[in-house]
Amino acid sequence: MAAAASCSTSTRSTGSVVVAASRNSVTSFQRRGPRASGTDSGCSRLVSIAGTRPSVRNGQLLVSTGLPALDQLLGGGLAVGTVLLIEEDKYNIYSPLLFKYFLAEGIVTGHTLLVASAKEDPADILQELPAPLLDDNCKKECDEDICNHKTESNIKMKIAWRYQLLPKMEARPVSSSRFGHYYDVSKRIPQELIEASKWHGFFLPEKISSTLNLEPCSLNHGYIKLLQFIQNIIYEEGFDGSNPQKKQKNILRIGIQNLGSPLWGDDICWTENCDSNHSLTKFLYMLRGLLRSSLSACIITVPTHLIQNKAIIARVTNLSDTVVGLESFIGSEKETNPLYKDYHGLIHIRQIPQLNNLIYDVSDVKDLAFKLKRKLFTIEKPRCCYNLQNRTRLCGLIRV
Amino acid sequence: MLESLLALGGLVLLRDSVEWEGRSLLKALIKKSALCGEQVHILGCEVSEEEFREGFDSNINSRLVYHDLFRDPLNWSETGETLPGGPLEALRALCRRTDPGPVTIALDSLSWLLLHLPCTTLCQTLHTLSHQDSCHGDSSPGEQVHVLGLLHEELHGPGPLGVLSSLAQTEVTLSGAMGQASAHILYRRPQQRLTHQMDPTTHLTFNLRLSKKEREAKDSLTLPFQFSSEKQQALLCPGLGQATSHIFYEPDAYDDLDQEDPDDDLDV
Repeated sequence: MAAAASCSTSTRSTGSVVVAASRNSVTSFQRRGPRASGTDSGCSRLVSIAGTRPSVRNGQLLVSTGLPALDQLLGGGLAVGTVLLIEEDKYNIYSPLLFKYFLAEGIVTGHTLLVASAKEDPADILQELPAPLLDDNCKKECDEDICNHKTESNIKMKIAWRYQLLPKMEARPVSSSRFGHYYDVSKRIPQELIEASKWHGFFLPEKISSTLNLEPCSLNHGYIKLLQFIQNIIYEEGFDGSNPQKKQKNILRIGIQNLGSPLWGDDICWTENCDSNHSLTKFLYMLRGLLRSSLSACIITVPTHLIQNKAIIARVTNLSDTVVGLESFIGSEKETNPLYKDYHGLIHIRQIPQLNNLIYDVSDVKDLAFKLKRKLFTIEKPRCCYNLQNRTRLCGLIRV
Repeated sequence: MLESLLALGGLVLLRDSVEWEGRSLLKALIKKSALCGEQVHILGCEVSEEEFREGFDSNINSRLVYHDLFRDPLNWSETGETLPGGPLEALRALCRRTDPGPVTIALDSLSWLLLHLPCTTLCQTLHTLSHQDSCHGDSSPGEQVHVLGLLHEELHGPGPLGVLSSLAQTEVTLSGAMGQASAHILYRRPQQRLTHQMDPTTHLTFNLRLSKKEREAKDSLTLPFQFSSEKQQALLCPGLGQATSHIFYEPDAYDDLDQEDPDDDLDV
């Protein structure tokens, strides 16, 4: 027994030595002290802002999109200074969800938000964000019995008196320094988190008076107003480094909903050849210029299934950095396909940017499907019935 | 079926074609709304007022507010009957309407408006019109605005049809086979908003509340592990004499405890 024990320990020790040696030869990553999570590491060369981390490929600063699965597909996250374009699905059911995940991630990590929409009031959009699943979330609901007993923290507990001296859980909104959080879609974000966050809203019907006395110009008036608004916020709050007294750097998360729809005053969904063919492309070009020179990241949803001119879709795709397309199965013939019966649609990663890089990471998984469960939005490779066929073949072999 | 079409507020798009006309469905919905006591405004552009009012009995006819754009849309006769500014001004006047209560606005037809107004202006005005309830603060579901729009499918390309479909909360497409008309209805339900939480303890068949006497009796009950306060303090804060339990462990020769090799290094 002793010999066997020594034998096993010796193999274990040599095994660990071998592993350490191989590890040392492959990477130069040295672990120093406790594992650093997120941005708390002192050895990070980049500015440590909450909710960001440097990319392992090119050192670019990344923010989370709110969906860890999507972060992984995009190569770690969304790079700061870039645009994430979401091509909406046909009935606009799932793209608002990705939009909300992005904004909810901004609230949880303490980033400043800028929400622009022509359809819904930004305050209403913020009310509908999903609730984060944080580890040290404390329950707010208490039944009336507990309310009667626990009015102050030094009140004696009647039944659970052994826990009396434990520290009370803090009720303030928790700001997390982790990268990428999970959300519960069936619940709304708590009101305190929204009130503790800083956000700016742009609702087009309020900003533009509905008179017809506007001369047509090369860029749509709604887009001009939005660009001016974004520029003002970036300048006033110092996201472009113009305000040197700012003590703590932060990221600005911009979300623009339904860009290119007629509610923004754009004609491209209406006809193929229209006067304002270049409004949206000019807007995207100027927006990207604003983003590249500031600490911000932007998500835009565009109803590309309504745009009549395919050339405009191609131009819009080229002018954005990361492009993700959603295709839902509702009403299409794929709904009856047995391969897709567990899923609600397909997600296509159409473009990933090359930032400070000569090559970019092309994901080898081409077909990905998404599913909206009651609480979670998941992205996975559709499982085919290959396993079932394999099993029957194996049974055939055994019989022989 | 008519109730389900009017259940969701917002824009109801009725798409018809030459074989299957939709004006009778529009009139049926108007009649239903009028019988429910809602105010009904009609913007008539395609047929004359007499022809539209045909088929309604007198009490319904008296409830309908008819804005006539058919007789003199460009106001050439200058009698002052039509609103100056044409159809856009008529729509904007409906947007600015401040009477409380549920209202139904019927547009006969959207196709005519599409051909006479710039498309983006029409979309923005339709959006403002169908979302009027949110402007007037929190309203209960009974105070909705219904906008019924009749659209002739064959007059427009896929662009306008797609855009109006995306704006509409309910879309009815009329078709049919062999003399039988059928309607294909598409609902876009917005995400449910939690208006207020119902208190689950109301309307129960058993009693969940305690009277004062019952509460006193409950408070004075001694529970099995509820010690006296001295014993509680003694257990909570161990005194000088008592030591908290310690484990003394000396690894012998056969133990291999490597402090610098935590388990999450394992390549599993």
